[in-house]
Amino acid sequence: MPINRDKACHKLLFLSLFIVLLALLYPRTLPARSGDLILTIGVYENAPKVFISESGKPAGIFIDIIEYIAEKEGWRLRYLLGTWGEGLDRLEKGQIDLMPDVAYTGDREKIFDFHKVPVLSSWFQVYARKGSGIRSILDLGGKRIAVLERSVQHDAFVRLSAGFGLSTTIIPLPDYQAIFDIVARGGADAAITNRFYGTMHAKKLGLEDTAVIFHPSDLFFAAPKGVNKKLLDAIDINLIKLKRDTESIYYQSLKRWISEKVPFKLPNWVKATGLVLVVVLLMSLLGSMVLKRQVNMRTRDLQKTNLFLHASEQKYRELVMLANSIIMRWSRDGQIIFLNEFGQKFFGYTEEEILDRNVVGTIVPDKESTGRDLHLLMEEILANPQKYERNINQNVRRNGERVWIDWTNKVMLDEQGQIKEILSIGSDITDRILSEEQIRKLNDELRRNAEVLEQRVAERTAELVIAKDQAESANRVKSAFLASMSHELRTPLNSIIGFTGIIISELAGPLNLEQKKQLKMVRGSSRHLLNLINDVLDISKIEAGELEISSEKFSMRNAVNQVAESLIPFVEKKELNMTVEIAPEVEVIYGDERRIRQVLINLANNAIKFTEEGGVKISCRRCDSSIEVEIEDSGIGIKNEEIDRLFKPFKQLDTGISRKYEGTGLGLSICKRILEIMGGHIRVKSQFGKGSTFTVILPLNREGKDDEKENPDH
Amino acid sequence: MTKKKILIIEDNEQNLYLTTFLLEKQGFDVVQARTGLQGLELAVSQKPDLILLDIQLPVMNGYEVAGRLKQDVETRSIPIVSVTSYAMAGDREAILAAGCEGYIEKPIDPDSFVAQVKSFLPGQERGGVV
Repeated sequence: MPINRDKACHKLLFLSLFIVLLALLYPRTLPARSGDLILTIGVYENAPKVFISESGKPAGIFIDIIEYIAEKEGWRLRYLLGTWGEGLDRLEKGQIDLMPDVAYTGDREKIFDFHKVPVLSSWFQVYARKGSGIRSILDLGGKRIAVLERSVQHDAFVRLSAGFGLSTTIIPLPDYQAIFDIVARGGADAAITNRFYGTMHAKKLGLEDTAVIFHPSDLFFAAPKGVNKKLLDAIDINLIKLKRDTESIYYQSLKRWISEKVPFKLPNWVKATGLVLVVVLLMSLLGSMVLKRQVNMRTRDLQKTNLFLHASEQKYRELVMLANSIIMRWSRDGQIIFLNEFGQKFFGYTEEEILDRNVVGTIVPDKESTGRDLHLLMEEILANPQKYERNINQNVRRNGERVWIDWTNKVMLDEQGQIKEILSIGSDITDRILSEEQIRKLNDELRRNAEVLEQRVAERTAELVIAKDQAESANRVKSAFLASMSHELRTPLNSIIGFTGIIISELAGPLNLEQKKQLKMVRGSSRHLLNLINDVLDISKIEAGELEISSEKFSMRNAVNQVAESLIPFVEKKELNMTVEIAPEVEVIYGDERRIRQVLINLANNAIKFTEEGGVKISCRRCDSSIEVEIEDSGIGIKNEEIDRLFKPFKQLDTGISRKYEGTGLGLSICKRILEIMGGHIRVKSQFGKGSTFTVILPLNREGKDDEKENPDH
Repeated sequence: MTKKKILIIEDNEQNLYLTTFLLEKQGFDVVQARTGLQGLELAVSQKPDLILLDIQLPVMNGYEVAGRLKQDVETRSIPIVSVTSYAMAGDREAILAAGCEGYIEKPIDPDSFVAQVKSFLPGQERGGVV
């Protein structure tokens, strides 16, 4: 049976009377105990949670519960009937003490106080005429939706439909009854009520529930802000007890108002349906408990997430504001929209000074020190920011100091995809740029220096080439001079030695003994002079690298024998012994015979010269790949420290020995160098005062080995 | 045995006298030339058995003289012995390359000089070079 407006008016009249009666009679009939609290409860039509029953009394789950608690706590209750909206107004103004069935929201908490244990959990559901075809929220697009004005579901639905991009016509109405009526009449396409009301009333009006369910919420008694905390605590304490006891008034009330029909006349099939509905409702209640738990958990999670988000946003703000990077947002026309604290300090502006000003003329100079036009560059960046996602340019501080910034530019687009603004993050790289410049300068300097050096080296090389040419030319001149000198000296010596020899041999006539003796002295001196000339010429040739060594086949045996023979007169003169030992395998070798003889004569001469007693032994043998000639004497010997200096040119001239033993001091030096040029060497062993052994080592070339069996004699 | 004729080409008067003296004492017939050109003429006209050639001659040096003597059919077969003072590296090679049969180093040894010269005469056993 539909409840119509007339009936509601009757009820209102009746309730007013009832309230007046209560006000007049109660204090007398039921004297208040000391401390009794009189509470005014707002009542409105929201069956089965709160409503005026057929008998005209306030009824419903919230009423049952608050009456039970009031009795327990010794409160006295008064009811003030009105619409939902009137109720909220009165509560806000403090005209009533409690408003039942108020869903908790953050906004409401600002103006009302709530207790903590929810009385019920509910959600909102969309109801429509049977066969409306509304199956999901999307089907509500373009529809007229009736909602309770100023209600949570009103706001929640507006947000929900906006989230889905739906355009709906909202019809706000003062109570649920009106909402269902207008839908039943076809004045609206769908109604939104809480699930309790909908379950109870939809069917009667030929409406059905749709699958559109949203905004689960906890329902409480709400009290005026900051007025009576104790009252709410008492409600909580009682609710906890009530909810714990399954036989309590709480569950009885739920059973009564949700499972038992409100006194309506219903056909049997409706009763049967009602029974089923009760079961369903109980199930849904159970489900709602579970849901409530989940919602609570979700809420806690959300709160945590919110806290986290808040904290992270805070962090982000701090990060942006205090980051050691310049963070700037600027508009398409170049105006600075945001500059973080670091950026402000860096460039030397306060926020007020820099905001809304153009980048050019503030932090961007007209021209870079390199000459680049930054005006143009900024225009280019604005025209094509993607191209300049990474850009290094010069900037300027307020004090005029030029700095180099490495910018990362990000484009922020608006809904239409147009460039709204540019986010630029910059790092000061002035030091790096300056260092690089310094390095470049140093490199340039180094390069210049290197070029100068190279130039000098080239010049020096050229000078040296000239010097070398001059030296070489001087050397050639020297060699030519020596050759010429040698020739010029030999020519007169040729006559001296030649004619002395002729006279001594008495080819030109007989001589007396004295004449002969004196002429022999002339000849000796001439020969010595010739030796000196030869030695000087040799050492000059050696030092000029001009000494040439020939390689001809000759008999080593013959050469050694002939050298020894030529020395016999000198050995005999000093009354010394001379022994020659030539091993049988020493035969023909390849080499410069004249030079080998020169070396052997020189060494043997020395041996004789420095030996006063004993004798000289010349021995020759073949080793694996060399010929060794050993010249051993029993002469004065050489001190150890003298041996190293022995082969230095003019050595003998350095010492006092030259007085006693004639010689240029060039002989050993020449021998050593000649042997080295031949690939051989000289070895010396000596004991001071006992004698010396000089060993000549001559390498054998292959030809020498091949021909070793050949008879050396011509 | 007929006297062997030796042509001496030498610009130094004393050396020319020295070698002439030594050779004549040993019974050689000596022809003297004081320049290269004169030497070439005498070599053709006198047909010596051997030519003693100084290298360092004015105007035309010994190498050129030797070369010309060896080019001329008439003088080609006459042995040439160079008497020289080995001034520069490569002198010996140059002397032999110019066509000389041998060389005697200056200053000469009066005791062995004639024996050395003889060894280069045709039909003689060639002696060692000192």
